[in-house]
Amino acid sequence: MAAGPLDGVRVFDMTLWLVGPWASMQLGALGADVIHIEQPGFDPSALGGGAPPTLDGTSVGYITWNMNKRGLFLDLKSDADRETAYRLLETCDVLLVNMRYGAAERLGMGYEQVRAANPRVVYTTITGWGEHGPMRDKPGADIQHQYFTGFWSTNGARGGRPEVYRHFTQMDATTGNVAAQAVLMGLLARHRTGEGQRIHVSMLRAAMALQSLRIGEHLASGELHQPLGSAGFAAAPDQAFRCGDGRWLGVSATSEEEWRRLAAALADSEASGLPPLASDARFARNVDRVRHRDGLAALLQDAFAQFPRDYWMLRLDAARVPCGFPLTWDVLRDHAQALENGYIHEVQTSGWGRVQTGGPPWALERTPARWFGTSLPGEQTGEILDELALRAAAAPAAAD
Amino acid sequence: MSSPAGPLAGYRVVEIAEGVAGPYTAMSLGDAGADVIKIEPPGGDRSRGWAPALSDDSAAWRVLNRSKRGVVLDFADPADLDIARRLLRQADVAVVDKVGLPPELAWGALDADQLVYCALSGWGPRGPWADREASELAAQLAGETVLSLGRPGDPPVRLGVDVGSMYAANYAIQGICAALYARDVAGRGGQRLEVSLFGSLLAMRSTLWVALSKHDEWWGFTLDSYLKPPDYGYQCADLPIYFSLGRMGDDDVERLIDDLQMGWVREDPQFELLLRDGAGGAGRYAHQLKHLWERGFAGWSAEQAIEKVERHGGWAFPMHDYERLAADPQVAAVGAIVDVDGVQQVAPPWDFEATPAGIRCAAPKLGEHTAEVLSELS
Repeated sequence: MAAGPLDGVRVFDMTLWLVGPWASMQLGALGADVIHIEQPGFDPSALGGGAPPTLDGTSVGYITWNMNKRGLFLDLKSDADRETAYRLLETCDVLLVNMRYGAAERLGMGYEQVRAANPRVVYTTITGWGEHGPMRDKPGADIQHQYFTGFWSTNGARGGRPEVYRHFTQMDATTGNVAAQAVLMGLLARHRTGEGQRIHVSMLRAAMALQSLRIGEHLASGELHQPLGSAGFAAAPDQAFRCGDGRWLGVSATSEEEWRRLAAALADSEASGLPPLASDARFARNVDRVRHRDGLAALLQDAFAQFPRDYWMLRLDAARVPCGFPLTWDVLRDHAQALENGYIHEVQTSGWGRVQTGGPPWALERTPARWFGTSLPGEQTGEILDELALRAAAAPAAAD
Repeated sequence: MSSPAGPLAGYRVVEIAEGVAGPYTAMSLGDAGADVIKIEPPGGDRSRGWAPALSDDSAAWRVLNRSKRGVVLDFADPADLDIARRLLRQADVAVVDKVGLPPELAWGALDADQLVYCALSGWGPRGPWADREASELAAQLAGETVLSLGRPGDPPVRLGVDVGSMYAANYAIQGICAALYARDVAGRGGQRLEVSLFGSLLAMRSTLWVALSKHDEWWGFTLDSYLKPPDYGYQCADLPIYFSLGRMGDDDVERLIDDLQMGWVREDPQFELLLRDGAGGAGRYAHQLKHLWERGFAGWSAEQAIEKVERHGGWAFPMHDYERLAADPQVAAVGAIVDVDGVQQVAPPWDFEATPAGIRCAAPKLGEHTAEVLSELS
């Protein structure tokens, strides 16, 4: 198999918990040699903060977020191990850290310290709340950012209260993805300038960037989003309808072209009682349809209720109107669309057997991404130290 | 308002995409310093017509298309199609989706071996749904997003943020930068890459897939969302908050109970459970115990309640809506919201000390840069 796009890049991964490990996991998937540093003498039940659910006593958070890496034990508080760390750092392109503000400096791993040893390092630090402001020193975790940034505030049943997305880790993973972007951009900048640099990413700003559109809508209009159930805010119709067999079908017409196709498909169908939609002035343009979204939804619901979901799916697919229906894990884990694209696959982990997981999400034709199972903490310590020793032995010859 | 020194300075990006995923991807590359040219059909990107509307276009258009120059081309006209082809062949990166992309501009037809050609799709390049149309909603339904909202049996509830599109954009930005690295540093040429909404949503729920494929006991850090009722936070006298006992010991919880003047809870049959259950997202029985805490919080404002929880070692945070978020001093302190020609919007999320990112320009008017870009074509 061809090497990944980051083949030859080495990452000194000092990350803990979730945010940082997600970032380095992406770099490993893209072909980088990610060396995950951990304190010797680990307690499997404390990994990943011990957050349940667990698998063989270890948090699934740890197992899931530390794939695509090699494990190295180093006690950064010991002089000998810090010396080893610096020898390793000389071979690295990237350093990733997500400790609290100032903690890396206290370990002797601050940017100025690292740069003195290797000025080409792309040094990326991740914080919860940023490097300024009254909340700078507060701990940051996924749920807090979900609540603080308003991620909860636009979800909910039509006419009901806004509700939280009950699957945490999304702010963590988003920040990890943004940090991985920053590393990649830093590597490209280094190729141009010849120098590394310090990069910072905060969960607060990453979580807000994820919501750029909804926050921007609010800032532009002054309006607060009221939960709309399955309906989208920006366009109509764009919501789920209950079909004749009781099953739900999500139908989206977010452009004028898609609206014309939907109106035509409904007119061509065998549903009765539907007035001509294409010529109705209330539904002329998207902003009109949004203004009259309730009336439009009621008309469409009447039509969809007359036939089963598959009847409508076949018709809408043929008319090239975007539509889809709810799937659940018990179907997804065997679904051809997920498996053929490698979106769900099984990996062998070192300590926890075989598990199914997601990714890689990129189909790169020439330099394919990879995905391999979680190592035990420190698992490759011997191998990595041997590589370093070999390199040190070879160094004088290389200098001639 | 330009960033000639951004990390991607010197790269040329051509975007032929609409809506959220493709435009956000290309905009981010522009914020990072690339020269981004967006090609629109004569009728414009669909998002120009989205709600809420602004004078000429929409909020969506403005916040998803800054840092770009705008060109209008009609692909039905062979001359315009040829211009698009030349623009793509001279670019470093193409960002495309399926909307209105003619076969002449597909990767295989371009014969541009050094181009990084990123296609965004609903369902991915392979599989039975590869050619189906898709939308944010369709992807959220298929990707199980809706199962973590609402109640089983009730109408589905989508995530208000367009996470399918935004997750895909975040992965596309990574894939593009990685492919540029392979091209420019390792000399491995250009390539086609594809990222889908469906695949990105599945990747972002990986923790759940691992938990579901093998686990000791089925409950967790609000990963057991299938079984729990809707979560609205903890309501105080004025606003809701999030709170968790964090690392508080029994004594700390007892002191918090006194401080909140909710001594009555010691008579409740669930008191022992309340002492030990973490509350918030960390509490296994948080949803069963919430009414007790809310009765305690009811006598206090959110600000007072947060102060009390923190005083005794717990974690508490305000639940902001976007209005309160925008007014929060922390948001101002980190510069998370910026003004772009009179339109407030969220800033790009990375701080590069040596090669700062920044917003190059406001979103273009329809065809604003057509003449300029055409005059540059060699």
